[in-house]
Amino acid sequence: MSETLLKIENLYAGVGNKEILKGLNLTINKGEVHALMGLNGAGKSSLSFVLSGKQGYEVTSGSITFKGKDLLSLSTEERAQAGLFLSMQTPTEIPGVVFSNFLKQSLNSIRKAKGENELDTINFIKALRLEANKLGISTDMLKRFVNVGFSGGEKKRFETLQIALLKPDFCILDEIDSGLDIDALKTVAESINTLKNPNNAFLIITHYQRLLSYIIPDVVHIFADGRIIKTGDKSLALELEKKGYTEFLNHKEP
Amino acid sequence: MLSPLVKDIELFLNDKPSIYALRKKAKDALLKSGFPSSKTEEWKYTNVQQIIQTNYQIDTTNQICSHHCCDHLPTQDFIEIHFCNGKIHLEEIKTPPGLNIIPLPIVLYENEYKNYIFNSFDLEKHPFAALNGIYLEQGLCIHAEKDFHSSTPILIKYKFDNCDNQQLNIHNLFILEKNAQLNIIEDFSTTNTSNFTNTVNEIYLKASAHLEHYKKLSESPNGIHIALNGVKVHEKAFYKQFYFSEGTQISRQETIVNLEQKEAQAEIYSAYKATRQTLTDITTNINHIIEQTYSSQYAKAVLEDDSSATFQGKIYIAPNAVKSSGTQLHKALYLGKTATLNCKPELEIYADDVKCSHGASSGELDKEQIFYLQSRGIDKKEALKILTTAHLEELFSFISNPKIKNLFSK
Ligand SMILES: Nc1ncnc2c1ncn2[C@@H]1O[C@H](COP(=O)(O)OP(=O)(O)OP(=O)(O)O)[C@@H](O)[C@H]1O
Ligand SMILES: [Mg+2]
Repeated sequence: MSETLLKIENLYAGVGNKEILKGLNLTINKGEVHALMGLNGAGKSSLSFVLSGKQGYEVTSGSITFKGKDLLSLSTEERAQAGLFLSMQTPTEIPGVVFSNFLKQSLNSIRKAKGENELDTINFIKALRLEANKLGISTDMLKRFVNVGFSGGEKKRFETLQIALLKPDFCILDEIDSGLDIDALKTVAESINTLKNPNNAFLIITHYQRLLSYIIPDVVHIFADGRIIKTGDKSLALELEKKGYTEFLNHKEP
Repeated sequence: MLSPLVKDIELFLNDKPSIYALRKKAKDALLKSGFPSSKTEEWKYTNVQQIIQTNYQIDTTNQICSHHCCDHLPTQDFIEIHFCNGKIHLEEIKTPPGLNIIPLPIVLYENEYKNYIFNSFDLEKHPFAALNGIYLEQGLCIHAEKDFHSSTPILIKYKFDNCDNQQLNIHNLFILEKNAQLNIIEDFSTTNTSNFTNTVNEIYLKASAHLEHYKKLSESPNGIHIALNGVKVHEKAFYKQFYFSEGTQISRQETIVNLEQKEAQAEIYSAYKATRQTLTDITTNINHIIEQTYSSQYAKAVLEDDSSATFQGKIYIAPNAVKSSGTQLHKALYLGKTATLNCKPELEIYADDVKCSHGASSGELDKEQIFYLQSRGIDKKEALKILTTAHLEELFSFISNPKIKNLFSK
């Protein structure tokens, strides 16, 4: 059996007074791709914020272990430095911060934390151009402010570019397919497929089967009522697309 | 006695009588007006009592600095002029034809520039400028002749490293003749002295002249900096000022712009970081004296805890200054809850058919942006730094010359 990368046990968490995760269990091993599907407002994005330690998302009980360490004791930046990456459903716009400068600082912060040497500007730009090219991102776009004025699809390409450059061990892709045109969806999926290796893992949050036909999941989960109510293989996503959620919600597993 | 700042000006008595007369004129004005008190409207938010009561020393030993302390290699990017502890550093400055750079002690002996001294502001209304006038001696005159154009900016570096408890008065004249074009940068970076710098720039732009005037102030936390720019702008001439300040214990930058002829124009950009336990004062006074004159002011501030800042922007539009426009905008970013900002716009409009506006906004750092940066491995402290710089970045984008921009973003 392969090694466990992430283990969530009996997790209860909420935001404000609202309880969103209610006894969630999820184990992801190295080398695996998991898909997480569920109704709007079910709490999928909230789970991703709990995992990345966003302020305001309070864990009331349960545990999260990442690479054998207690993830909940780490700050947001320490989690990122430990190899966790969240591609956000709505990436934040940051006027005044040039994308390539931001990415250089991000990459070097992570390299530094890992004890690797920081890249100088020339080597960084080389690496950046190479990956940007593959994703069809022009050099001019790299000079723009982070996500400002980017189209929905462009934002997602930039999130993918960050993954390609930072090479995290665990990636949460929160609706990376939303806003992408069919060609871009393919490019992004290809990029992720090439990044897949026996040491990393992906949690793909999506509403659509289409993405999963490009990035084939090993495991598919249905998320409802604050926890995972059904787990299966890739055929579960197909079944869900055919039948809709009602069927599954009515036949909850104990 | 008025204040220990006003010392025995007989020290300078062996100068030409005409120079002494100028100093006397300034002294009489100061004696008449007195220093600002807490009741002086223009100085309401900036308490200068501490400055007035300090016995700062005046160094009258040399008119110029002739040591090798700040000899420097000529660069291609700038025409560099250095001031060491308030005195102009003597060296050969290579200037292109049509551009004259003359030390003030020499200017004072020539009649040509006499009419430019104390002509851009009212001595009685500006006590610190009057104080500066009492010690009229240090400074320089930059004179661009008709049609002079240069892409090489003039960089004036003021260095202070051995002048604790000194009062340094610097008086410059920037004169651009018809259709001349120039960029001037003033760079004040003190390492760690507790001096009092009091500068006056008198700026005259003749018809169609174009001056971009940059100033970077990052003095020591013990430094006091008071500055006045008096600017007269003639027909179709354009004055653009870009001011960046950070970290000085008390700093006040006052700018008076007189748009005296048709289609005269001024733009003033101010970016400042009010750091802990400092007081930053930016005061402007834009006078639209005649029809079809235009001004705009845009300031952005980053306010740390325990800092104070004042932004007073006055736009005056004279009764016959129709078809003019004056705008003003101030945006502040609070990094904590204990900063004080006095933002006081003043519009005095006496003409019809004018466009005038002022606006102010303030906010805190965006939590989503902090999270986004942190989620990419950047630690919180660094994230805050990135975002505060980003707040000011918009203003830096108005600097078109990349070499000048570089000086400011360092
Ligand atoms: N900061 C917040 N304050 C209050 N309620 C919140 C907050 N964040 C999320 N919620 C609520 O928590 C619930 C779960 O939201 P979440 O964004 O996690 O859903 P989701 O499963 O990602 O939905 P979608 O598929 O539409 O993206 C929603 O009802 C949402 O309104
Ligand atoms: Mg969501």
